[in-house]
Amino acid sequence: MSTNTTEKKWDRRSADTAERLAAASRYIGPGKQFKPEDTVALLEAVIHAGDRVNIEGNNQKQADFLAECLNKVDRSKIHDLHMVQSAVPLPVHLDLFENGIAKKLDFAFGGPQAARVATFIREGKLELGAIHTYLELFGRYFLDLTPKVSLICAYKADRQGNLYTGFNTEDTPTIVEATKFRQGIVIAQVNEIVDKLPRVDIPADWIDAVVQSPQPFFIEPLFTRDPALVTESQILLAMLCLKGIYAEYEVKRINHGIGFLTSAIELLLPTYGEELGLKGKACTHMILNPHPTMIPAIESGWVDTIHCFGGELGMEKYVAARPDVFFTGPDGTLRSNRAYAQTAGHYALDMFIGGTLQIDKYGNSSTATGTRVAGFGGAPNMGCDAKGRRHSTDAWLKVGKEMPSLDRQIGNMPRGKRLVVQGVETFGEGRAPVFVEELDAWKLAENANLDLPPVMIYGDDLTHVVTEEGIAYLNRCADIDARMAAIRAVAGYTDIGLQAKPDETRQLREAGIVKTPEDLGVDRSRADRSLLAARNIRDLVTWSGGLYNPPARFRNW
Amino acid sequence: MALNTLEFHLKIDEVTHSIDTPIHLGVVGSGDMEVLMEPKELEGAVSVRIVTPVAGFDELWKRVVEKFVSETLLGNVHLEINDNNATPAVVLLRLRQGFAEATGK
Amino acid sequence: MPKWKDLQEQSFLESDARARAIGLLDEGTFTELAGPFDRFYSPHLEVLGEAVEFDDGLVAGVGKIGKTPVFVVSQEGRFIGGSIGEVGGAKMVNTIRLAIEFHDELVTKYPDLSDEEKPVVVISFETGGVRLHESNAGLLAHAEVMDQLQKARHKVPVIALIGSKVGCFGGMGFVAAATDAIVMSEFGRLGLTGPEVIEQEMGKEEFDSSDRALVFRTTGGRHKYIMGDCNALVANTIAAFREAVAELAALPVAEFEKLRRIGSPEAVERQLRGVALAAEMQPKDARDVWAKAGNPDPVALTDMPLGEFLAGVKRLSV
Repeated sequence: MSTNTTEKKWDRRSADTAERLAAASRYIGPGKQFKPEDTVALLEAVIHAGDRVNIEGNNQKQADFLAECLNKVDRSKIHDLHMVQSAVPLPVHLDLFENGIAKKLDFAFGGPQAARVATFIREGKLELGAIHTYLELFGRYFLDLTPKVSLICAYKADRQGNLYTGFNTEDTPTIVEATKFRQGIVIAQVNEIVDKLPRVDIPADWIDAVVQSPQPFFIEPLFTRDPALVTESQILLAMLCLKGIYAEYEVKRINHGIGFLTSAIELLLPTYGEELGLKGKACTHMILNPHPTMIPAIESGWVDTIHCFGGELGMEKYVAARPDVFFTGPDGTLRSNRAYAQTAGHYALDMFIGGTLQIDKYGNSSTATGTRVAGFGGAPNMGCDAKGRRHSTDAWLKVGKEMPSLDRQIGNMPRGKRLVVQGVETFGEGRAPVFVEELDAWKLAENANLDLPPVMIYGDDLTHVVTEEGIAYLNRCADIDARMAAIRAVAGYTDIGLQAKPDETRQLREAGIVKTPEDLGVDRSRADRSLLAARNIRDLVTWSGGLYNPPARFRNW
Repeated sequence: MALNTLEFHLKIDEVTHSIDTPIHLGVVGSGDMEVLMEPKELEGAVSVRIVTPVAGFDELWKRVVEKFVSETLLGNVHLEINDNNATPAVVLLRLRQGFAEATGK
Repeated sequence: MPKWKDLQEQSFLESDARARAIGLLDEGTFTELAGPFDRFYSPHLEVLGEAVEFDDGLVAGVGKIGKTPVFVVSQEGRFIGGSIGEVGGAKMVNTIRLAIEFHDELVTKYPDLSDEEKPVVVISFETGGVRLHESNAGLLAHAEVMDQLQKARHKVPVIALIGSKVGCFGGMGFVAAATDAIVMSEFGRLGLTGPEVIEQEMGKEEFDSSDRALVFRTTGGRHKYIMGDCNALVANTIAAFREAVAELAALPVAEFEKLRRIGSPEAVERQLRGVALAAEMQPKDARDVWAKAGNPDPVALTDMPLGEFLAGVKRLSV
């Protein structure tokens, strides 16, 4: 036994935290409350230069008041912070770098600030750690990127400091657990302080200080798609998806991306989907936010279970009234949880379907442009084949069985594969081709000194591409040459599509690797808005029996 | 700055369809177009006139209209299009809708 | 174009100008005037390099509803916001003029015609007013339309229909106000200065145009119905608008004077009482006025199903 043992200290983290909280104690009153006007001073007391700091905020709720206050601290004392956070959607998140308060960033999603992220990297104002997926970043919170101080947000606190995060619980449990159980400091902003919470989402002893912010936290209704804006082209694509994929594989466990194509699919379930006899056979279990466009399908009895990453403004009452479908607490309100939803999204889904800005000739796709470091949030975790998956489902097995190349990797061992589907019109906004020789992600990598081009979905994970020309069943291709040919065949009049050879395309169609709308028996002339179960937000309100309360910006009556 | 006008003729070998009555379809909204389809004796050919504010897509227009004509086996028709930046997918959609209306298919 | 029968249950909000024109009239009776095959498109847009449309975004024609000859004007919001330029303006002016001439000829020839056999004009508005690209011609067209409305007065009733996406704003808001009767759906909006322009001139605090709930409860069909700025509020189908037109078309022309909002000493008196009430109340929101009209729960009025709303709502009387 070494005689040094008695001298060795094993509680330096908690001692440090205690010291910082002691310095802040004069601002913190009963119930751990502090006054909004003391926020900057409190942050100056608990945060030290070079700390790893988390500001809560994904693509929905934002700890915006605390972020604004952090941006007002004395930068001679607090500088070179290492920000570890899901997203940087608010201008103030980047102002911290502009002002020298923060130096390094590890994140998952850039949102509206994506262009500034790229510029700041180039100008040396921001040192990029890495662009992660949400799960990847959450994982690192518990390993090598644990925050020392986290600034979080909740709807309500009680007089003891317990928190109610409710409908928009999102990332809070993950951040708090990582921070507090590594002896860090957690500061919460809440919209109101009440005597009794609907339920306790975060216990008070995991929280160090609470402030009622002068304004309720900012929250974005990011997942509301107005059915009025769904186009005939999107309806055609949705019909192809339903007939050529949902029906073909009878896919039950699904995540829908955020775009208009998946909204169109949701709105076709009670009409075209019903006609295809898919009710009960597809879309029974979903990982998604409470998309308003899911209301008609839910009301028509399509859906067994939905677990949510976050909430969606206006859907509170509707969700609370459908506890058989959504995960709700004893108090009756939804509890979302991004980490669990992403875990389900990674391991338990049979299909991820969404859109993208660009697909290259190999099938790699990205939403990155040459000047924006956007990140992909959760999409890559769902838009990939989970290599650790060990349970089987029919759809997953069928995709694996169709793969002619599997035996070259694992011999005669059977294995399934997740459906990863990208649905795109061959030309996007401003007639920009979606199919390209080389992704703009390469340019971005160069412009922002990234190690690698940011790819949302890699070509080997992509199983199906759907365009107005038809569906490419990439999982049925034997090798990369066949995959490239199949991609060309559905790439329309883009430069990639124009390289398609008629003979080759005919062979692919004969082999069932490419199917046109005609091959699938999809009648183009039915791709009409009258096929949508709801054609505007007002219809969704009616479907919901008045329970859906759309945000002001979506109301047109 | 004036509008671009693109005019060309297409002829395929086995013309089997023409139309009896003129058809108008579509609205020149953003990213959309309108088309007039009129029967016209052109010795089996299709004459096309496209008016668009967007320059530089002449080849693309020809390819898209060619595809439409070859899949419908259309002849003796004059097509006149006012475009406002429609994508090839929308162009084909409108042309097919127009053809369906003209032929009752 | 979908079959006439299918048009009837089609959403008025989503219908293009031609579908509205055809669907409002009896099946098979619509004859288009200066239609797309006549290729009267805007020479000004062409010079400016802007996309043109064969009908210049305005459908004009004539047909029948029952025994009533109906002259119809229908504006297309998807083409440059339904804006009125030289060609579309001229089509509008001359359609009304034609209706008046037809009326005069008809009553001279057949002095015993019943009310429902005399022509009416129906204007389906979807416009922000003058097309800025051809402003002088567009402004002139507005003046000429106003002139025709005066000439039609006491002869040919002019009925305004407002239920399309763009609403009815700008100079065409004045034109709509000068018609004899206004029919709206809850998706219709009627005003003079558009929401975006108010915000631009007066600031976001005064009027936040991105707050569509605010915009609609200040300019939308339900509010206009409570205020008496429109005469009827109908469901969002072509059939519902058509039915409202059919009911109005059978009225004697003198009855339309009671439906008008401006143009008589009584109407002016009433408008002035409204102004006085506003000055006294200083309402902060349309809902204050709804409450004043006698609606105890104004907030609930917005989302209430239409039938329930029409059955229970109290309209402002001044």
